[in-house]
Amino acid sequence: MNWDKEKIKSILPHREPFLFIDEVIEIEGTERVVAVKNIKNNESFFEGHFPGRPVMPGVLIIEAMAQTSIILYSLSKPEIAKAHPNYYLGKVKAEFISPVYPGNKLIVETNSVKILDYAAIIDAIAKVNDKIVAKANLVFGIKPREIL
Amino acid sequence: MANNFEEEIKKLVSDITEVPPEKLKPDADFFKDLGVDSLKAIEIVAAFEKKYRVIIPEKDIPNIRSIRQIIEYTKNLK
Repeated sequence: MNWDKEKIKSILPHREPFLFIDEVIEIEGTERVVAVKNIKNNESFFEGHFPGRPVMPGVLIIEAMAQTSIILYSLSKPEIAKAHPNYYLGKVKAEFISPVYPGNKLIVETNSVKILDYAAIIDAIAKVNDKIVAKANLVFGIKPREIL
Repeated sequence: MANNFEEEIKKLVSDITEVPPEKLKPDADFFKDLGVDSLKAIEIVAAFEKKYRVIIPEKDIPNIRSIRQIIEYTKNLK
């Protein structure tokens, strides 16, 4: 069953304009999640990156991967995720292969490497039209939300 | 064989901690002596699991704090 934006928002702490998943289209148990981000022509980051030559910044592709990774984590650790912890990206090994342009449909595939209560390692790839545009290995930490 | 295994573990830990293998003493504490934080610890565990095709239960991870303890732990897995 696909996840719509409201379901995604029930897990992710991110909100527009920094929410980079539109839909979750595949879930395989606790091992794999595939999500989609439709790159609109009027995304605000295109204004400055770059004027007249719009390209999606690599860090935002990583962000889409990280957000999809949190969804994958939440499937392994639903009780912790339900408490809305803080997620901190700790380390990323990434490779960018092709540019992503306005109008592209970015498919983000994540696979679990290791998931613990307090940390996770996830492998991710991003594709446009079945072509891999980026690959990354992400390590992130999870901490209970502090009450301010 | 034992020495080879120790060398393999040193290489694996060295790649993640960026401490040269020759400086990795068997009893050096990952957290106190090598500056390993919880995220590097999980990287070491994941690399070990991948290389030796084993699963280390989450409850055991805090008790594995040195190369010697990895080697001892592996003996118990066999």
